Amino acid sequence: MAQWTTKEMMAVALARQINDGMTCIIGTGLPLTGASLAKNTTAPNALLIFESGMIDGNPLELPTSVSDLRIARNASALWPQYRYFGFQGNSRKKNKIDLGFLGGAQIDPYGNLNSTSIGDYMHPKSRFTGSGGANGIATNVNTVIIMQHQKRRFCEKVDYVTSVGWGDGPDGRKKLGLPEVGPQVVVTELGIMRFDEATRRIYLAEYFPGISIEQIMENTGFEMDTSRAVEAEPPSDEILAVLKRLM
Amino acid sequence: MNSANKVMTMKEAISKYVHDGDCLAFGGFVTNKKPYAAVREIIRQGRKDLYIEGGPAGGDVDMLIGAGCVKVYLNSYIANSGFTQVCRRFRKAVEEGTILWEDYSLDVQPIMYHAAALGLPYVPVKNMLGSSMIEKWGISAEIREKHPKLASRKLIVTNNPFNPDEQVCLLPTPKIDTAIIHVQRACFDGTCRIDGNVFVDIDIAMGATNCIITCEELVSDEELRKEPWLNQLPNLVPDAVVHVPFGAHPSQCTNYYDYDGAFFVMYDNASRTDEAFKEYLDEWVYGLEDNDAYINKLGAARLSNLHVKPGFGYVPGLKRR
Repeated sequence: MAQWTTKEMMAVALARQINDGMTCIIGTGLPLTGASLAKNTTAPNALLIFESGMIDGNPLELPTSVSDLRIARNASALWPQYRYFGFQGNSRKKNKIDLGFLGGAQIDPYGNLNSTSIGDYMHPKSRFTGSGGANGIATNVNTVIIMQHQKRRFCEKVDYVTSVGWGDGPDGRKKLGLPEVGPQVVVTELGIMRFDEATRRIYLAEYFPGISIEQIMENTGFEMDTSRAVEAEPPSDEILAVLKRLM
Repeated sequence: MNSANKVMTMKEAISKYVHDGDCLAFGGFVTNKKPYAAVREIIRQGRKDLYIEGGPAGGDVDMLIGAGCVKVYLNSYIANSGFTQVCRRFRKAVEEGTILWEDYSLDVQPIMYHAAALGLPYVPVKNMLGSSMIEKWGISAEIREKHPKLASRKLIVTNNPFNPDEQVCLLPTPKIDTAIIHVQRACFDGTCRIDGNVFVDIDIAMGATNCIITCEELVSDEELRKEPWLNQLPNLVPDAVVHVPFGAHPSQCTNYYDYDGAFFVMYDNASRTDEAFKEYLDEWVYGLEDNDAYINKLGAARLSNLHVKPGFGYVPGLKRR
């Protein structure tokens, strides 16, 4: 049986969210690893766009930031930032963007994310970068969220909503004046969570091989439905070989 | 006037167009084409009480905060991504409350700069609705009254007058005194040719009252006027042109050089403590008279190793940690 690391399993899980031909807004780090893996295996026609305005970039080496010159290689166009903004806002008219990838320091049961600060906003215990492009992605497109699975990060209420998920439930986004797109999947080092179609609340969809449901709940700071959970398919030898080459 | 020779030294440009209490905006994006040579000169000249429009900020703004030049910082993102995940001098200043700050998103800030470039009084967006950026203000309306450089409010949520069922967020146009952007080629009159992404560069250049261009190469006007459709800024916009080779180091510059990973790692360590940061400023800013002294200190071998390789646009296999 193939052996893999937590990071590799996460990258494979992220790659599985990208179908061939999809257009995705990608951030650096694991999302880019997952997207590169998808492009080199199951989704060769996936198209990657970046908040820096780099459109359909084809990096050969992993970039360190969304403005890295490595992304500009063989790109279709390099847009000024206001064009990226307009393209994103207009994308829903013709479903031009299928998915955006986001991360955060805290997540609540409806997929609302905090990447701004921990504690009181004016006197934060920990201060982070702030929104970056995350708020715009969460406003305009369906999202895949990458999180570290810890009790303090999976919490009932986030300290600051940087990126809105499903708000407070079924009509949450409508009440806030936001389009009906939102978080689809949360990928952590322990498993994959999705959101219930009716209640918009998070539930456990898959646990990674070697991880138990109990272990996941011990690391989750709110009630979460686990009745639909199944074990995730382990990564194949072929896909791991491609991934090791990329990383 | 606009065909005048605008070439001057960095010392002259900064003393002429950057004053205590000014609102500044910088071009580039995080670790790409940041006007670092200008930032170092601002610190050397000891400017203080600055208002900074950050946009996609990195070590450029972090250095200014760390050097005590900044009073108010308008943030949407600040990191040397891949090297420092959250800029450390910024983080310390916010956690200790030594600067005023405001949070927008990195979709909205470029649109605010675009509004400034178009001369619009404000701009309506759907972004940020429902997020904490709407109700949590780093700088209250009351405090804003004491800061004429700031808009009277962070934002206003209201109904779209054309479609009253729709909520919109109105954003004020920033009042930028001086924009500083780094370009690959410029000529004496301020005509600019930018290679690669322009990010927010043109918007801040047009939106600001004054504009300083720093450039890798100072070229003849014939060179840039042969194909004027490839120029992004006409001579009418810039006020100063400063020739500073490697002026964006340690960040990247399309067709010229890759980022200096080792330098970013050093900066990451230097920005961890007050003592180390002071030593860094002494060694790399105060201790060097100008950009020539800076690139001499870096050395020819180090800089030539950063030259991008044709066909790639970066340095393949560059040591980044």
